[in-house]
Amino acid sequence: MSETAIDARAALRPLPLVEGAQDDGTLNKTLNAYVWQPPQRGWLALVLIGLAGTGMLFAAITITIAKGIGMWGNNIPVAWAFGIINFVWWIGIGHAGTLISAILLLFQQKWRTSINRFAEAMTLFAVLQAALYPVLHTGRPWFAIYWLFPYPSTNAIWPQFKSPLMWDVFAVSTYFITSLLFWYLGLIPDLASLRDSSTSRRARVTYGIFALGWRGSARHWHHYKIAYLLLAGLATPLVLSVHTIVSWDFALSILPGWHTTIFPPYFVAGAVFSGFAMVLTLMIPARRFMGLKHVITPRHLESMAKVMLCTGLIVDYGYLMEHFIAWYSGNVYEQYVFFVTRPKGPYAWAYYLQLLCNVVVPQMYWLKWARRNIWTLWIGAVLINVGMWFERFNIIVTSLHQDFIPSNWAMYYPTWVDLSLLGGTICFFGLLFLLFLKFLPAVAVSEVKELNHELHEGAAGVSLHTPAAPLHAGELEATEP
Amino acid sequence: MRRFVLGEFSQPDACVQAARKLREGGVAGLDAYSPYPLHGIDDALALPRSKVPIVALTGGVLGALGGYTLQWWMNAVDFPINVGNRPQHGFWTNIPITFESGVLIAVLSIFFSSIFVFFGLPRTYHPVFESERFRTASLDAFWISAETADENAVPELEQKFREAGARKVHTVAESV
Repeated sequence: MSETAIDARAALRPLPLVEGAQDDGTLNKTLNAYVWQPPQRGWLALVLIGLAGTGMLFAAITITIAKGIGMWGNNIPVAWAFGIINFVWWIGIGHAGTLISAILLLFQQKWRTSINRFAEAMTLFAVLQAALYPVLHTGRPWFAIYWLFPYPSTNAIWPQFKSPLMWDVFAVSTYFITSLLFWYLGLIPDLASLRDSSTSRRARVTYGIFALGWRGSARHWHHYKIAYLLLAGLATPLVLSVHTIVSWDFALSILPGWHTTIFPPYFVAGAVFSGFAMVLTLMIPARRFMGLKHVITPRHLESMAKVMLCTGLIVDYGYLMEHFIAWYSGNVYEQYVFFVTRPKGPYAWAYYLQLLCNVVVPQMYWLKWARRNIWTLWIGAVLINVGMWFERFNIIVTSLHQDFIPSNWAMYYPTWVDLSLLGGTICFFGLLFLLFLKFLPAVAVSEVKELNHELHEGAAGVSLHTPAAPLHAGELEATEP
Repeated sequence: MRRFVLGEFSQPDACVQAARKLREGGVAGLDAYSPYPLHGIDDALALPRSKVPIVALTGGVLGALGGYTLQWWMNAVDFPINVGNRPQHGFWTNIPITFESGVLIAVLSIFFSSIFVFFGLPRTYHPVFESERFRTASLDAFWISAETADENAVPELEQKFREAGARKVHTVAESV
């Protein structure tokens, strides 16, 4: 036998979380290098595209506000179209960030550490895009604050709290605030490390202001650890509640195709599924161009592929149950939606595209080579993003366009304003993300240092932590461009 | 004028052991600084239990009660609207917003109490930053400080820091 027992055991060992011999000094240099580098050409080009798309977004918003909601393709019966599809799509994408930062923290999954900052930023920017749509969809966004929040206006009337749409307002705004504060609390020690490794006065003052004077005191870390854990503990049920409530926007109505008890778990799983797909879509190029391959290793990518496969299967179960219950209920309207409108109606192509992207494509992640190959990961992730968008399209548009009475039926076509809003939010999201990658630490530096220290201590009880020569201010200057 | 004796360590474990030794040797006003939380430092410095969980619980309970009361008062007392003859005071339909407001107020109280009260931030100045070398505390070194108002106690403290294994010891004074 050519294979020894040692070789066989080595093959079972998981891939490393941090590659190479790293210490605090090398992690400082490599993880923050992108912030101190002059901007790359590719980054500048993408920022320009992002700016152009953001311009288009604001033009489309201006047209919507100036001319009214009639500029969209919405009609009766399809009163909820792109506005709500895009809202649900973006808010779902946001869910992976909280899952990675909070739920995986509680489960003590160490592979979350180098990707959590990245995913949390993605959550924030995605929720911002999502929040745009319902506000614009009110038609008169300048009144939205009186309609949506319990504000004592001269109308003297209060919001109707028995509506899931009101629950949604509270859920999404709580979610945004929680994600923002969780993200910022995690950023403070890293902003302090940027302040302390900066060489220009301007950078030192700017990062210094945002670091709030953090000095890494043990008396602060003592409270910090607990505050961070408690925020994670609160964010965990919160993230489940947010997409549950989003699904109630549909499930609590009586429309065939919406009125289903499977919706909450199926929406939450779908949200995590699409969110991980978006994290992979962004992370695979970013880790290459930012030189982060030593902390975002194939182990991280493989774990994310496994989460996509698992949540994808939950989503597939949701599809199966929807169809089963429609048949089992004996309700002709339910059966018509699931067995005629969706598979044979005018939007059947969208239905089959959804099934291809969300049911067939993720099955390749059963195979190890597909989980470890950058191209199968990236292309699969992009297709899942597309599939999840079409899932919401099918839930909303196909259910609405042929409801109860055939005389009520109508087709829906998006207008150029609808398409500009969708394209525009993608560009605006990308722009915010690019600025984040350039100006803030994209990897949680202090957490990776702590993990690296733990990994070295854990290795056979011997401290492999090689004493690094301390970084003097002079050396820092020498290493920076 | 407050003075801070600062000792720098290259290893986290050495820093924790030194902190314990100094505290047991009767040094008062100790603190430690590190780029990431040090394992065992809470015990070495004999820090009292954090009060963050109590703040979080209080915030969460008050937020949930407030959220429920808000919905009950607005929809059942101040401006009741009859929708399909459903009860004005809908207990179950009030639950989602009660949960969300509980989480919101708990999160806000954790964050702001930590920053403003427990960390005492934001602050523009702290004497330890008088040392240019203290920059490494957020990068790759571990520091211990002892605060004293007595200038004559400094040489003895510096000696104790060296005995505890600090690779570099110096003293900074608060600039007023």
